[in-house]
Amino acid sequence: MDAALEVSMEAAASEPRRVAELFESFGAEHGVPPKIVMRMELALDEVLTNVVSYAFLEDVGDAKITVGMYISDSRVKICVEDNGLPFDPLTEAPDPDMELPAEEREIGGLGVHLAKTFVHTLRYERVDERNRLTLEQPLDGQPEEPAA
Amino acid sequence: MKVTTSTNGNATVAAVEGRVDSANAKDLDQELAAAIDQGGSRLVLDCKGLRYISSAGLRALLVAIKRTNREGGGVVMCRVPDHIREVLEVSGFTRLTKVFATVEEASVSFD
Repeated sequence: MDAALEVSMEAAASEPRRVAELFESFGAEHGVPPKIVMRMELALDEVLTNVVSYAFLEDVGDAKITVGMYISDSRVKICVEDNGLPFDPLTEAPDPDMELPAEEREIGGLGVHLAKTFVHTLRYERVDERNRLTLEQPLDGQPEEPAA
Repeated sequence: MKVTTSTNGNATVAAVEGRVDSANAKDLDQELAAAIDQGGSRLVLDCKGLRYISSAGLRALLVAIKRTNREGGGVVMCRVPDHIREVLEVSGFTRLTKVFATVEEASVSFD
């Protein structure tokens, strides 16, 4: 089982859903367990929402965002690349404090926290004037339960 | 996404169906605000038909939790599918709102 799907997307608010749902059907078609598909879809959605919200705040010319999805017997890998402003969500988004009562809770950083929790590996690199985020999930056995 | 509002005793029940993400979280925000405006601040969120929620949807939920808490009510949830419950747990939302098995149990929890 080796499959790849590469798509490009625009820096528009409606695009993360379109691409996240493409991943959902691609993963399901190629036998990825539903639990892993759901977690990776959410992680991808959060990452893409960050990209369209922050990477193109300033005019950087033609926005180019590509998403590569790769499935093998042993793992699922998703590569998101964009030519936007340098933005490392792993360091620039603060971890939310989940001990706080509702009135003090803020929502900032929650998307990245979900993405980090729901994929085994989430990696950021700045390569040739491009942001590259890699999401990887091994497929050996059952996924671990994330810490609540 | 679709939100259907009804009342059950003293509680307002908002049944949320479908997918809530950054593309339509504002709609959820508005629907919940309207439900609270009309029915009061004891809000039951019936999640039986909720297929997907991302952090943008949780933001709308947090707004409703904060408002109803301020107004002397609160938000409780019921019939939450396992995969949605996992998202709530990972986000710390199960500390902010109670989760019940049925609409009835959730509704009477305010009494």
